[in-house]
Amino acid sequence: MTLLSNAVAEVTDDGVLVRGVDVPLVLSVDGHYVWSLTPARDGRPARGGLLVPWPAVLRPFLEGRARVRIADVRGEVVLHDADVVLGSGRGRIEIVDRSGHPLCIDKVGHLTRSFEATGEEVRDEILAGTQRALRDLREFAGVEAYLNYGALLGAVREGRMLAHDSDTDVCYLSRHSSPADVITESYAVERVMRERGWSLLRMSGGDIKLLLPLSDGRVCHIDVFVAFFAPTVGAGPFFQLGNRSGDLAREAIVPVSTITLHGYEFPAPADPEAMLAFVYGPHWRVPDPSFRYADPPAGVRRLDGWLRGFRTHMGGWTGWYQGPARKVPRKGSPFARWVHRQLPKGEKIVDLGTGTGRDALFLARRGRDVRAVDFSRASVATVRRRAARSGLSDRVVADQLILGELRSTLLLAARLARDPHHLYARHLLGALDTAATDQLWLLARTALRWGGRLFLEFAAAGDGVPEPEPAGLLRRLDPEIVADRIRAAGGVVEHLTVGEGTDLRGRPDPRTARMRVAWPVVPVPVERNPAHARP
Amino acid sequence: MPARDLTARALVGYRRLRERTDVYSRLAALEAEVQEQRQLNRRIAELTDVVAELLIPLQDRDPGRAEELLDAYRARI
Repeated sequence: MTLLSNAVAEVTDDGVLVRGVDVPLVLSVDGHYVWSLTPARDGRPARGGLLVPWPAVLRPFLEGRARVRIADVRGEVVLHDADVVLGSGRGRIEIVDRSGHPLCIDKVGHLTRSFEATGEEVRDEILAGTQRALRDLREFAGVEAYLNYGALLGAVREGRMLAHDSDTDVCYLSRHSSPADVITESYAVERVMRERGWSLLRMSGGDIKLLLPLSDGRVCHIDVFVAFFAPTVGAGPFFQLGNRSGDLAREAIVPVSTITLHGYEFPAPADPEAMLAFVYGPHWRVPDPSFRYADPPAGVRRLDGWLRGFRTHMGGWTGWYQGPARKVPRKGSPFARWVHRQLPKGEKIVDLGTGTGRDALFLARRGRDVRAVDFSRASVATVRRRAARSGLSDRVVADQLILGELRSTLLLAARLARDPHHLYARHLLGALDTAATDQLWLLARTALRWGGRLFLEFAAAGDGVPEPEPAGLLRRLDPEIVADRIRAAGGVVEHLTVGEGTDLRGRPDPRTARMRVAWPVVPVPVERNPAHARP
Repeated sequence: MPARDLTARALVGYRRLRERTDVYSRLAALEAEVQEQRQLNRRIAELTDVVAELLIPLQDRDPGRAEELLDAYRARI
């Protein structure tokens, strides 16, 4: 690795152009750490050097003037330290969150607050929270939990939190080796952590994210990753989420040791150095804030297959709800009006994939009780807020449904078995993968046994019609293939038309399919369920 | 080399190439199928969880009705 004496860096609207450098660099704006870059890895040849483009998440901030410093990791060789003008040049460049806290880019490319920009008091809250998480995992969930990743690296190498780190990660060594058992154990861990008062998100079959509210208004994420030994061929045998896989001896992990960080004691792997070499490679002792994992593809493929798949597009949809979805009309869609007209007064509806809740609220305003469900928490929050504002909270129940998760689907099916609802899904089908679609049919078959109907609207495939928005999240489907799948799942397609309709944003779409589907009625003993009055 | 030999050699090469392409597509299909099998792990875990956490506790609450259901279920398998 070299840093030549004539090394230079230039800062432009396109990115950072460097010459004579192939070591990781650290970029600060007005004295705050913002970004680490490795030109040989991140850049492309341009004007006799390497141009490293600005990360997309930084671009919205790059308007105005600021002092930009670019140096090697130790800060000994400075390649650039001067005022720069970007974009229109008006105003001061401020890379901060809404409360004015400085932001930086973490090692997976997200914009976040770093410990460098975190006060001592807040840092103590994070460490105390991490300590509590580890205690709950060990004492109450009964798993061999230990501190890992950035916090462990900081503790062992520098005796403090790493300046460029933003959250803490913990792992536990599963006592199981079969992925199915590892996942079942993770569900049990989740239940215990919820009982212990943690608010959390499930990220995969093997990791959850604990949400720790901080006094500065931020929420710190503590990832709880599973690690396990799986008897596999050609990969592993040791697997540890995020995406690590390879060889590590069990003795390097358990029995756990103890490590101290800023006065807080944590359980750590038995051999922290061996764990750090496994995670960060043999050069882990040399600071490199632009470090990226080089995970064996065979291991990633296995972890993807075993543990992931039900929330692949959740981030994409959340981004859509926070941006373009603001342009979705507030009034009910033509499809909602069409459905409403067909149903007897007062019969209830589940709005599957409710999105902004426009149709759920429309149907509630027409006197129906509506259960509005979506896999995106951003959507559920929006619908709850809008229902409250419209005085419809008693008519609209908003909740999360993950159709890619069997548990989530079965739970709604069980609830609906005693509480008859029709099912309504507008522009949902084109967003589902095969597994989630199959579970939609399972839900319909069980929830509509009383004689209810499933109403579907989706963008239909055809020659020359553009792909629907949001691109990459929604696709067109062949209505005949959909009808075949429904019939294979036991449904009866009572109505199928393809014609002009509207897309998610309310704009005209030349090919939109509408369907009404029924499933065979299964008699339910009346005395057990008097609500099933409809034949 | 006579034209006939050249043709024969070309045919052998063509067949080999076709077999190799065929092997690649079979390999891709095999990988996809393996991935499908891996995905069953999550389904097994979810079913185990529902049975252990939902159905068994439900039986504790209403043992009479649960017995009835279990008998009916057993009779149909």
